[in-house]
Amino acid sequence: MSEPIMQLESIYRSFKKDRTDIPVLQDVNFAVNNLEFLCLVGESGCGKTTTGKILAGLLPPSSGKIYFEGQDITTLRGSARNHYRRSVQIIHQDPYASLNPTHTIYEMLSFPLFHHKFVRGKHQARERVWELLELVDLTPVEDVIDKYPYQLSGGQRQRVSIARALTTNPSVIVADESVSMVDVSIRIGLLQMMMNLRDELDVTIVFITHDLALAKYFAWEGRIGVMYLGRLVEIGKTQELIATPRHPYTKVLLSAIPEPDPEKTRAKRHIQLRSEDIPRLTELPDGCTFHPRCPWYVEGVCDVDVPRLGIPANDSNNTVEVACIPVQRGEELRLYES
Amino acid sequence: MVSQTSPMLEDAKPESATERIIERAMKIYQNYILRVLLQAVLTVWAVTSFTFILIRLMPGNPIDVLVEQILVQEGISYEEAYARVASSFQFDPDASTLDQYLDWLGDLIRFDLGESITSPGTKVIDEIARFLPWTVFAVGAGLLISFILGIVLGMAMAYYRNSPLDHLLSLFASFITGIPNYIWGLLIVIILGIQFGLFNVGQLRGTYASDVEIGFNYPFISSALAHAALPIITYVISTLGGWMLNMKSSTMSVLNEDYVNVAEARGLRDSRIISAYVGRNAMLPLFTQLTISIGFVLGSGVVIEEIFVYWGLGHYLFASITTRDYTSMQGVFLILTMTVVMANVLADLGYGLLDPRVRVSGEK
Amino acid sequence: MTRKQKTSDTLANDSLTAIILEIPLNLAKAIWGFLVKISKNRSGFIGFLGLVAYFILTFILPSFIPFDDEANLDEITGPPGSRIQLAVHVDNADVYQSLEDLEGRVVGVVTQTGGPSFIAPYEDTLTVEEFRWSSRRTGPGIQAALTALANQEIDAMLIFSKSVDEVITNQEDPDLKALFDANIVISNPTLGPRHWLGSDTQGRDIGSHIVHGGRILILTAVLGGVISTGIALVFGSLGALLGGTVDNVLTALTNLILAIPRFPLLVVLAGLISFNNTLFLGVLIGVLGWPALMRAIRAQVLSLRERDFVEAAQSLGLGMPHIMFREILPNMISFVIINFIFSITFAMYEQIGLVVLGLAPISDYTWGVMLYFGRTRGTLFNSDGASMALSPVMAIALFQVCLVLFARALEELFDPRLRSGLV
Repeated sequence: MSEPIMQLESIYRSFKKDRTDIPVLQDVNFAVNNLEFLCLVGESGCGKTTTGKILAGLLPPSSGKIYFEGQDITTLRGSARNHYRRSVQIIHQDPYASLNPTHTIYEMLSFPLFHHKFVRGKHQARERVWELLELVDLTPVEDVIDKYPYQLSGGQRQRVSIARALTTNPSVIVADESVSMVDVSIRIGLLQMMMNLRDELDVTIVFITHDLALAKYFAWEGRIGVMYLGRLVEIGKTQELIATPRHPYTKVLLSAIPEPDPEKTRAKRHIQLRSEDIPRLTELPDGCTFHPRCPWYVEGVCDVDVPRLGIPANDSNNTVEVACIPVQRGEELRLYES
Repeated sequence: MVSQTSPMLEDAKPESATERIIERAMKIYQNYILRVLLQAVLTVWAVTSFTFILIRLMPGNPIDVLVEQILVQEGISYEEAYARVASSFQFDPDASTLDQYLDWLGDLIRFDLGESITSPGTKVIDEIARFLPWTVFAVGAGLLISFILGIVLGMAMAYYRNSPLDHLLSLFASFITGIPNYIWGLLIVIILGIQFGLFNVGQLRGTYASDVEIGFNYPFISSALAHAALPIITYVISTLGGWMLNMKSSTMSVLNEDYVNVAEARGLRDSRIISAYVGRNAMLPLFTQLTISIGFVLGSGVVIEEIFVYWGLGHYLFASITTRDYTSMQGVFLILTMTVVMANVLADLGYGLLDPRVRVSGEK
Repeated sequence: MTRKQKTSDTLANDSLTAIILEIPLNLAKAIWGFLVKISKNRSGFIGFLGLVAYFILTFILPSFIPFDDEANLDEITGPPGSRIQLAVHVDNADVYQSLEDLEGRVVGVVTQTGGPSFIAPYEDTLTVEEFRWSSRRTGPGIQAALTALANQEIDAMLIFSKSVDEVITNQEDPDLKALFDANIVISNPTLGPRHWLGSDTQGRDIGSHIVHGGRILILTAVLGGVISTGIALVFGSLGALLGGTVDNVLTALTNLILAIPRFPLLVVLAGLISFNNTLFLGVLIGVLGWPALMRAIRAQVLSLRERDFVEAAQSLGLGMPHIMFREILPNMISFVIINFIFSITFAMYEQIGLVVLGLAPISDYTWGVMLYFGRTRGTLFNSDGASMALSPVMAIALFQVCLVLFARALEELFDPRLRSGLV
C-alpha cells in the first residue's frame, strides 16, 4: 500500500440553522493514498460534498485534524499553505455554475497561471493554456480557447473545469459529482480522460458520487468509501468491497444495482429496508444511525452503541473497514422481525 | 433544504406531535415578534435622537426667526423685539442641547411631545392629531388605489406579454414613473386646473371647505374628498407605474413555476389559478416594497402638500421648519419614523403570515 | 502542428502596435454592438435618442445660444412664439418692411424694453424717437408712441407681439381703438427673433434659459448618483465579503438611515448646511442616498459569493481582490449600471424637490430654479406666462422619462429571464 497523501482524523462538521446545530459530518476518519483512485459514495445529504470541501480546504471542520503530506494543515503558513492550496483542487458538479460567465476560456485558465507566476507574458500563458486544453481533449483548441462558457456544451464545460483545476499542477483532485450533470453518452469519455490524467500527471483523484455502479466501474483498481448520514460506514478496496459487502447499507445499495444481464437482475434478491424514510439530520437516531432502516437490526446493540470503523476481528485476510457492531463481532446476520 | 413535515409521521401519537410542532412554531414566532419589536423601538429612539441633534444644529432658533420677522415688519429696536418674543416663547435659547434632549426624552417616555414653541399653549400632540389624519387619508387612499390598479394591470401585462397591450402599458408605466410626483402635481394644476379650467385651484386650499361642519354628513365628506382628490391623484399616478412593472416581472417568474403548470395540467379553472396560485405568490415580494413606499410617499408629502396647499402633516412640518419650531418638528419626525418602522415591522410579520416557509422557521 | 501555428499568430498579435490599433477598433465594435442591440428595443431606443438629444441641448447648444439675462419690460410673460414686430402707418404698409427700408426715417421705441438694443445697429441711418415706459406693458409710453404713429408724427415703431394684442387689438378705449384700427398695420410681423418658449416675468427668453439650465442640474444629479452608487457598492461588497462585525455595523447603519424619512431629513439638512454651490447639494443627496441600493448589492454579492466559480477561484488561491474585482464584480456590473441610472433620477427628484420648496441654492439658474420662480411669481395662474413653469417641468419630466426608458431597456438587455420573456 502506498503512502497516504491526505488524512482526515475524527472530523466533525455542523451547520447552524435557526440557532440549532445540524451535524453534517460526524467522526469521519480516512486516508487518501498517493496516486490512488478513491470513490466516496452515498445518497444526497450524507455529507460527501462537505467531505470534499473539507479535503480541498474550502470549509474548515468544526473539529478534527486534516493532514496533507503528513502535516496538519492548520499549522501551515505562508508558502507551505499556498502549496497545499494549489495542490488540492476541486471540480464541481454543475458545469454551468462553476465557470464564470463573464470570462473567456483563455482568461479563466490564465488567471491562476499569472497569479502563481507559472508563466511570464501573454504568449507563454497562451501556450500553456493551449497545452492544458489539449490535455483534456478539447480539440481543436482554436475553436474553444477564446469562447465564453455559454458557447460550449456541458461536456466541454466540464473539461474546461478540469483543465482549470490542472493549472496549478495539483497532486489531489476532488471531483464532486463531476459527471452527474453531463449527458450519459459523454460520461464515459470524461471518466476515461480523468483516469488517463491520473497516469500522465501523477494526480490522486477523490471521486464523489451517489452512483455506486459508477464508482464500481471507475474505481475498480482503487478504493470505495460508503457514507451514510454524515458517517463513513465502510471503506476498502473496490474489488473486495463489491465482491463481499459487509455493512448492511452497502449490501442494500449493491442489491439495488441493475446488472446488464436481465436474468441476473431478476435473480438478484432485492433486500427490503424496514423503512424508506431517511431520518432528518436534526433528529438523528441514537446508536447506529442506520438502525431504524437496517434489515439486520439487533435490538439492544444497534440502537445503543455508536459503531466505529474497524476491520472485523475474525476476518484476517480482509482489509475492508466496516462500522457495524454485529459485523465486527463476527456474528451471523439475521433479519430482524418485530 | 431539510424537509419540514416528516417528524409528524415519525411520532406514534400524531395529535400530540402536531400540537408540539405548533407550540414550538408559536414560541419561535413569539420570540421573533419580540425581537422585531425591540429592534423597532431601538431604531425609533436612535433616529429621533439623531434628528433631535440635527434640528438643533440648524442655523437660527425660533426666537431669532421671529425677531427678524418683527424687525422687518414693525421697525422696532432689536432688544425690544427680542424681549417681546422671548417672553412669549417657552424656550430658553441658552439651555444646553443635552438638557433639552434629556427633558424631551423624559417627556417622551410619558407620551408627552411637549408644547409648540412658536404658539405657546398648543400641544404638539394635538397639532399632529389635527394634521395627521388628512395625510393618512390622502396617502393611504392614493397608495391603496395605485397598489390595486398596479397589481391588476401588471398581471394583465404578464398574461398578455408581447401583445400590443403589454407594450403600450409598459411604455405608459415607464413614462408615468419617470416623472417626479411634484411635477405631476404641477402638471395637473397647470393643465387641468388652469388651461382647461376643470377646477378652481384657489378654492381647494386646505383640507375641507370652511363652511361645512365636521361630521358624517354629505357636504363635509364631499368637500374633504374634493380637497384630497388632487393629492390622491398625484400619489396614484406617481406610484402606479412602479407597481405595474414590478407586478409584471414578479408574475412572469411565478408563471414559469412548476406548480402553476401542474395546476393548469390538473384542469383547474383559470380564475382559480390566477387568484390562488399566481396572484398570491406574485404579490408576496410587492408587500415589502409597499412598506418601503409608505415611508417614501409620506416623506415626499412635504412637497405635494405644499403644492396643493393641502393641510396635512407635510404642510405642518414645512411650516415648523421655516419657523424653527423645534418641538413641532421633533414631533412630526417621531411620527414619520414610527410610521416607517411600524410599516416595516408589519411587513415582516405580515410576510410571515402570507408565506408559510417564513412562518415555520422564523427566518427573515 | 496547429498549436505551433497558433503560437506564432499570437506572437504577431502581441506586438504593441497591434494592441494599440485594436483598442479603438474594439471600442467601436462594442459601441456599434450596443447600438444594434438597443435599437431593437423600441422604447429603449427612444430613451437613448432622447438622452443624446438632451446631451446636445445642455452641453453643446449653450456655446451657441447666449443666456438671455436682459430684462425687457414690455416683453414680460409673452406666450411661446412671441417676437418684436414692426408697426407702420397704413399708407406705408408696402414701403417699410425692415429696418433697412427706414433709412433716414423716424422710428419710435419705448425705453426699458428690448427695442433700443434691437435698433442699435441701425442707429446711424435712422432717427430714434424714445417714449418713456411706465410700469405696465400697456403703459402710456406705448400708447403715446402708437398715437404718434397713427398721426404720422413718426414713421414706424417697434412693438412686442404680445403688446400688439393688448394695446391695438384689444384696446378698451373706443377713441384710441378707432384711431389705431384705421391707421396702424403690422408691416413685418417677424422682425425680431422668435421667443420659441415665450418670455419670463422679466421679459427674458425662456428658451435660452432651458438651454443653459440643464447642465448644472444634470451634473448635480449625476454626482449624487455616482456618490450614492459608489458608497452602496463599497459598503455592500464589504459587508457581504467580510461579514461579521463589519457587516453587522453596516447593515445596522443602513437600516437606521432607511428608517429616517428621507425627504424631510434632506429638507432639514438643506436648511442646516446653507451652501451656495449647487454641486454640494449633489454630494449631500449622494451621501444620504445609498442605503436601499447597498442592501440590494449586499444581497447580490452574498449570492454570487456562494457560486461554484468563486469557490473554484478560492481553491486556486487567487485571493480576495481577484475574487471581488474579476469574479464577482463583472457579474453584477449591469445591475450596478442600471441602478446608477435610477439613482440619477432619484437625485434629480430630490434636488428639484428642494429647489421647488425654496430650500436649495438658487444662484445657478437651473430648470428647478426656473420652476421655483415660475411658481412663486404666480405664472401658473396666467395662461400666457405658464411657459415659465411649464417649460422646465416638461424638460425635467422628459429627461426623467428618457432615463427610465433607457434603464428599463438595459435591464431587459442584461437580464436573460426578462429577455426570454419578451423576445
